[in-house]
Amino acid sequence: MAACAVPLDPPPAGPAAGANETPRPGGTLRLGAAEDVHTLDPAIGYDTGSWAFEQMLFNTLVDYDDGTNIVPELAESWQVSPDGRRFAFTLRHGVHFSSGRVLAAGDVKYSLERLLRPALHSPGAEFFAGLDGVDDYVAGRVTEVRGITTPASDRVEFVLAAVDPLFLHKLAMPFASVVDREAVERAGDLGFRRQPVGTGAFTLAEWVEGQRMRLARNPLYFRSGLPYLDGIEVTVGLSDQLGWFKYQRGEIDISGVPSAEFARVVADPRYQPLLLERTTLRTQYLGLNCAMPPFDQAGVRQAFNMAVDKPRLLELIDGRGVVATTILPPDMPGYDASTPGYAFDPRAARARLEAAGLGQGFATTLWASRDEGSMRLAQSIQQDLRAIGVELALKPVDFPALIEAVRHPGMVPLFLLGWEADFPDPSNFLIVLLHSRSRGTNNNAFYASPAVDRLLDEAEPLLDPARRFRLFHEAEVRIMQDAPWVPLFHPVGFAIRHPRVRNYQLHPLRPSRVETVWLAG
Amino acid sequence: MAEAALRGLGSRQRSRRLFAAGMILVGGLGIVAAAAPWLTAYDPDAIVVPHYAGPLPPGGAHPLGTDTLGRDVWARLAYGARTSLFVGGLAMTLSLGIGVTVGLVGGYFGGAVDTALMWLVDLVLTMPTLLLLIVLATVLPPSLLTIPLVIGVVGWTTFARTVRGEVLSLRERDYLLAARALGASHARIIVRHLLPGVLPGVVVLAALGMSGAIGIDAGLSYLGLGVPLPTPSWGRMVSEVQTYFAVAPWLVVLPGVAVSLAVIGFNLVGYGLIDLLGERRG
Repeated sequence: MAACAVPLDPPPAGPAAGANETPRPGGTLRLGAAEDVHTLDPAIGYDTGSWAFEQMLFNTLVDYDDGTNIVPELAESWQVSPDGRRFAFTLRHGVHFSSGRVLAAGDVKYSLERLLRPALHSPGAEFFAGLDGVDDYVAGRVTEVRGITTPASDRVEFVLAAVDPLFLHKLAMPFASVVDREAVERAGDLGFRRQPVGTGAFTLAEWVEGQRMRLARNPLYFRSGLPYLDGIEVTVGLSDQLGWFKYQRGEIDISGVPSAEFARVVADPRYQPLLLERTTLRTQYLGLNCAMPPFDQAGVRQAFNMAVDKPRLLELIDGRGVVATTILPPDMPGYDASTPGYAFDPRAARARLEAAGLGQGFATTLWASRDEGSMRLAQSIQQDLRAIGVELALKPVDFPALIEAVRHPGMVPLFLLGWEADFPDPSNFLIVLLHSRSRGTNNNAFYASPAVDRLLDEAEPLLDPARRFRLFHEAEVRIMQDAPWVPLFHPVGFAIRHPRVRNYQLHPLRPSRVETVWLAG
Repeated sequence: MAEAALRGLGSRQRSRRLFAAGMILVGGLGIVAAAAPWLTAYDPDAIVVPHYAGPLPPGGAHPLGTDTLGRDVWARLAYGARTSLFVGGLAMTLSLGIGVTVGLVGGYFGGAVDTALMWLVDLVLTMPTLLLLIVLATVLPPSLLTIPLVIGVVGWTTFARTVRGEVLSLRERDYLLAARALGASHARIIVRHLLPGVLPGVVVLAALGMSGAIGIDAGLSYLGLGVPLPTPSWGRMVSEVQTYFAVAPWLVVLPGVAVSLAVIGFNLVGYGLIDLLGERRG
């Protein structure tokens, strides 16, 4: 009967990678996207889809290398004062906006002050609220941010109100992209979302909303000889499945691999050399609302940690990841494998429930995104918990509704969510998701521990990584004891390329960069 | 004349045969639903494979294979028959209850009562049914009762119209005038004299309503709005595995065929009854 499965078609034909190939300029990279890009204004976009294209159009002062190290981008070099509060950047020379204007220090200042303007409602403003004088600027008492100065046309200096070990990482976020002031003033803030002008490797050539977007090579780009590609073409409206079909027909160059096909693709030697894989700084978790009984009892939360069969969840996502025993993903700087987790032990879980006076079991509701993948995970967890006497009703909702619902205290007892790091730092998980001050934003477990808060507050401003990471580790150990989460797994990113595509890589923190991608003959 | 009689005879035999076929399908569905626990050793909700590595093909311990969570497909199909009959039956009963009551009352009393009730029917008819179903199914809490309630509350208008039409013609019959002259109460006249008169038509509508409700339930489940997970439902079984069509086509085909057979079965019974009842009356 296995024979009634349709055989897997071969991948699209193209030149195999040879040794010592030299990059060949030209050609158009064809991409697919399920939905239209939300915005191309770097001050506004806060989703992978927008970031993927913003980073083709704009640059930041500093950026990441292939991993999580900060490297110069628009900045040539920088100095940090010994107290960690002053950053002085020297700009790279000969950088032009695609409009032809030369980049100057004033553009950097303008871009960040624009981001901080309250009327713009930028979701990235909070990351730069620590600059000296932002309060006065936001309140409208002054027209400039005191903490951003331009001593020369190629020098920008920042002064922080308090020490922030993550400031360079924040400058590497697409929010801090340098925009062309004249283009913004011409198009207006709303118009700039559709008519972006930056210093990036590409420029926007055409955008037919809901259908396609085309980017063209920026001939003025500051890295000579780059990008190799003449352009990029994005077809909008391709679901995972449709994108995969189009990839197999050779109509798009990069695709994901749908779950249904994954096992066959990985096992097929024709496809193996085309697969791209990369660990990400992500954790999928089952959140337990510590403010709602019976999850206000640590014993019940620990029982859930012992009841969920995580290896099976990993099987259900085709093994694309690693089982999570801690909150921090293994590639996170400061990750400590010695943090004690919980072993799968339904019997011990039952004992914990009995100790909590819930030996006869209880019923509760698990909220999850209604997509097919999340529903499979939710049903597996439902079966695991049934084994310890807990009856889970599943509440499938649309993802935006889920994000909204979990912020209301007392509404969602259990939820399935994931978190992907904005910066490679433990604070981006432990403070953003588990500090008591984050209740109402991203601490959707409504976890509040004064002891943990103290450790996190102490660690946050420390510049010395060793001390910082040790305190974060202590906090994580306590959090795992209190068990506001059941960490489930850390997913691994997968994509597949057309055989002609060269030098396309997945990045642990950001969408893939394409300026060094080229197409073989 | 002889030709016409022969043709009549032929179609009468055909409709009997179709009715019989419908009864076999419906009976089979009923037996599978009733005997589900004895037809399979597996809990339909339980993950039965020790390690999940994609759906297992039919054969061996799992006659129809396992699904994309590692559950037994035959167990889910068999228990899914229960879901379909429960949802279809409850939705149909509800539609029937509301529809027959509205039809009887409106047809019997006439006048302003009838006008008001028919206005209500028109109102429900003008509402975009699928949209209404989706909104209600989203807003109401997830429960096994939600979908049949929603389908029932939206689907009673045909019953009301048909019954009212029948009552309008019965109302003027002599035996009703006699009952009224003898001083029988409205309730007595409606229940004792009108209801039996509309019953044959209602039975036909019930069979057709059942097939309609099963179809709508499959559609809603396919949209992810059906009975709560993990309750097996044929519509959901199709939607859960649609991306696996190339890898495991049986997962999509089997529940699809099950829905079709159930809908066809109830339709055949309904249309067969129309012919057979019409025959008896004629």
